[in-house]
Amino acid sequence: MISKERKFWIYETMNKIRYFELKALKLFEENKLRGSVHLYAGEEAVAAGVCSQLRDEDYITSTHRGHGHCIAKGAELDKAMAELMGKVTGYCKGRSGSMHIADFTKGNLGANAIVGGGIPIATGAALAAKLQKTDKVAVSFFGDGASNEGTFHESLNLASVWKLPIIFVCENNGFGISVPVSQSTSVENISDRAVGYGMPGVTVDGNDVFAVYEAFEEALKRAKAGDGPTLIECKTYRTLGHWTGDPQTYRDKKVVEMWRDTKDPIQLFKKRLVEAGDFTEEELDKVEEDAKIEADAAAEFAINSPNPDPSDVMDDVFYEC
Amino acid sequence: MAEIVIMPKQGLQMAEGTIMEWLVNEGEEVTEGSPLFEMETDKLTITIDAGSNGTLLKILRGPGDVVPITEPIAIIGEKGEDYSALLNSMGAPPVAENVESENETADEVTVESIKAEAVKVPRTGKVFASPRAKMLAEEKGIDYADVDGSGPEGLIIEKDVLEYAANPIQKTAATPLARKVAELENIDINNIQGSGARNKVLAEDVRASLSAGQTPVQTDVTQLDEELIPIKGMRKIVAERMKTSLSEMAQANHRITVDMTNSVSLREQFKAMGTKVSYNDIVLRCAAKALTEFPMMNSSWTEKGIILKKYVNIGMAVAIDQGLIVPVIKNIHLKSLDAIAKESSELASKAKENRLQPEDYTRGTFTVSNLGMFDIDGFTAIINPPEAGILAVGKLAKKPVVINDEIVIRMMMQLSLTYDHRTVDGAPAAQFLKRIKELLENPMLLI
Amino acid sequence: MSKKTYATAIRDVIAEEMRRDENVFVMGEDIEILGGIFGCTRDLYKEFGVDRIRNTPISEAAMIGAGVGSACAGMRPIVELMYMDFTLVAADQIINQAAKTRYIFGGKAKIPLVIRGQQGIGRGNAATHSQSLETIFMHFPGIKVACPSNAADAAGLLRTAIRDDNPVMFFEHKALYASKFEVPDDPDFCVPFGKADIKRAGKDVTIVGSLLYVSRALEAAAELEKIGIDAEVIDPRTLVPFDTQTIIESVKKTGKLVVVHEAHKVAGWGAEVVSQVVEGAFKYLDAAPIHLGAKACPLPFNIELENAVVPSVEQIVEAAKKVCNKK
Repeated sequence: MISKERKFWIYETMNKIRYFELKALKLFEENKLRGSVHLYAGEEAVAAGVCSQLRDEDYITSTHRGHGHCIAKGAELDKAMAELMGKVTGYCKGRSGSMHIADFTKGNLGANAIVGGGIPIATGAALAAKLQKTDKVAVSFFGDGASNEGTFHESLNLASVWKLPIIFVCENNGFGISVPVSQSTSVENISDRAVGYGMPGVTVDGNDVFAVYEAFEEALKRAKAGDGPTLIECKTYRTLGHWTGDPQTYRDKKVVEMWRDTKDPIQLFKKRLVEAGDFTEEELDKVEEDAKIEADAAAEFAINSPNPDPSDVMDDVFYEC
Repeated sequence: MAEIVIMPKQGLQMAEGTIMEWLVNEGEEVTEGSPLFEMETDKLTITIDAGSNGTLLKILRGPGDVVPITEPIAIIGEKGEDYSALLNSMGAPPVAENVESENETADEVTVESIKAEAVKVPRTGKVFASPRAKMLAEEKGIDYADVDGSGPEGLIIEKDVLEYAANPIQKTAATPLARKVAELENIDINNIQGSGARNKVLAEDVRASLSAGQTPVQTDVTQLDEELIPIKGMRKIVAERMKTSLSEMAQANHRITVDMTNSVSLREQFKAMGTKVSYNDIVLRCAAKALTEFPMMNSSWTEKGIILKKYVNIGMAVAIDQGLIVPVIKNIHLKSLDAIAKESSELASKAKENRLQPEDYTRGTFTVSNLGMFDIDGFTAIINPPEAGILAVGKLAKKPVVINDEIVIRMMMQLSLTYDHRTVDGAPAAQFLKRIKELLENPMLLI
Repeated sequence: MSKKTYATAIRDVIAEEMRRDENVFVMGEDIEILGGIFGCTRDLYKEFGVDRIRNTPISEAAMIGAGVGSACAGMRPIVELMYMDFTLVAADQIINQAAKTRYIFGGKAKIPLVIRGQQGIGRGNAATHSQSLETIFMHFPGIKVACPSNAADAAGLLRTAIRDDNPVMFFEHKALYASKFEVPDDPDFCVPFGKADIKRAGKDVTIVGSLLYVSRALEAAAELEKIGIDAEVIDPRTLVPFDTQTIIESVKKTGKLVVVHEAHKVAGWGAEVVSQVVEGAFKYLDAAPIHLGAKACPLPFNIELENAVVPSVEQIVEAAKKVCNKK
């Protein structure tokens, strides 16, 4: 059972992510924001469902489509938006942009622009948690494409052999850019691969907050009990292009519309919350409005923030004692 | 790409070379490693091979030309290639540059004609110096173009500048334009007083001296029935050394007659064993031993003092077509007679074939000269500076001599020692010569 | 001072640092009971247990990635690679992750990670197990690169590496493991990074070499002494940070430079040294510098072929003679 407070937090977080992404898209279209921007809209149930159960000291590693994880792990929208705009007030002082955003204070070891690049790093964080004899856990978010990278296989094996407190969360959104999963991946369900590494694997509806939440709750218990890792595959759908400006010639518009109109995770969750009598529609609409306002304010903050000073460009290459 | 062929430096002391003959005509193909031209230096005649493939496009310096090392002498390139830019790069710019730097006001016509001349016969190529050499030259206020380079491809390196600084060659400082004018007008630039900075001779100085009536160097000295042989190469070197020898040393002479009978039988014994040893080799061996016993004979007079040498290197004078050369047997005092015989015969054939390298004919400490083969009874030789003595060896002949009050026939030979009286007095010189006689008469003492 | 081998010096420093700081741990292939194939962790599992002397599967990317992740999470991992050639299997985790993490996260991460292992010729390991790869890692900002040439430097540099809060690539040389050298007993003996060591002072020519080529350069210097050339041999010890100044000061004195390494000559780090010296001391040069490195072919198996690919002592001598204009 998810507590009422946690349900509210999840709904609020999903809306923050959604309106952050829509605002970022708008800024991109207005040419106020540059670079590769990969939007998470439509996949919010995964990040929010998982991160609602994590504490600040737990670790995550994220992907090139990382804004959702970052916000769900506690990032402030203004600093995140400032980073997307390369401003000095951003989480990474304008060094990372969209693809490498990180907030170490919240245990976010970073978005990772290399597909599969973050999986061994989360594994290492879990190793540290174990060596330090803490009850911290690590979560590695990655996509369906990353499950075909060597690091996925090496890391799952390593984490299983060492019984590390880590949960591998695969967000299967149906495409590696333009290539459908059926063309790139040898198994029907990516979670089937868990068998090869001696860990449980489960596939859930990634647009259903409750399904994601429950699967993760189980995995978290295993991790904390010292029983090792779990692979959770969340089947979802990327309703926007791979990046801002993707012509999307590779997929049927009707399918996209179907997902957007009938399987939107926020709308599905809102319906369940209202039906269960947890919150009224008005209360939830207010949350949505607040999220819009917060995203707009974040954009204002980012736009008004200064650019980094080029004379500092050589700072932080190395840690100077 | 056309390439410049330069006068290559051969051996340590070479400063200039004389082109004897081009072995390839202009327009003919050359291949890398095939003979290109013959040249003569102070001491040897060498055939130089081509360093690249192509066509000999242009011969810049003809037979008889004396060319300083590294200066261009020919151009090799592809057939029909336009090498005028290369020629210009060699000759013209330095002239023009220096006109400006010295603020000369030569009239335009002259400058133009000079330029044209420079293109025809380029005087100098670009001078290359290492960055370090340039830095040092600047520090010491030396124009590095005056320094001879000993590095790869004539590169001027630090050592060259240091040596130049320690002992600058007294070369008249002159602008290239002044040199050109002097050359065209056939005037010796060294006789002209310069009016430029640091007394550098400017072109106007040359012209002024022309109008003041300095006579051009006379070149047509010969009458119809005479021939002028230019003094250069080996002739020049031999002449200079002999003149220096007689003008700087106090040369005195002793003579002695030696009974060579025992040496003859020693030679026969070697011959019987299949080893060829000449009388001269035996003389060399005995002289070497005597020199170790009379170190003053193995010394050099210098202004700082007399240098006693702990090693004995005896030169053996060899007559060759071009003149005289003295290859040296190094550390001869440590060598056996048969080793000396072998080395002397090798050096003699190398000398006759012009294959001697500079290290073969330098660092001698004493010389033996033998004219016995020309039927000469005895003679006085001139010391090869900076040595302190030379032993002249005459012919070997049967002579009636008195031994135990009887007249007998013995193999006799005359030795003549010229020594530097500054270093060695008459009596020790006599003892030295007597010791050689003793050894030759009792070659068993060599053991 | 204790005379010990290069391998023992490394092992001792790992043990001392693990005693000093419980966050230090080692992971690598066959490092537990076997003690690493070159013995650099021999018997350490007995003292520190298998959690801290941790055998890994043959998964270099996961090992190094786990190194990055555990370093981010407060540990001080030492990842032993059996052969540094295997860095190429894990290149993304080193070059894109370890090297860049701190910078792109705006200076908020610390990555106290040591990736160490051996490389080079000498054991007939052929093309994929005999390479010298230090140059590659010098190219990417964010990783330090250490190359010890004797047991004392190995000890001092490794201790500095373990205590450094940045990723360090620590290149050992397989042919040096058995070589002995006096090593200070001080448990805090550190060799600072970015400080070249003049292994032999001289005035005529500067010879720069590292790893195995320090001893070869010293051999060459002994040969050169016989013909009157007094060579100065400089070991940069770390390629990142690189002590250009010591080399430039030396070249200002000698005017001549020879750089020699076992890594391939083409775009090898010696070219960078020549470039820095030409930029920084051009007017002091008395001859064009010479750069020696392995020929542009893979390292062959046969010992004579292997020796034909890498620079020889004779080649160093010849190069030094050439820059000294000695025929």
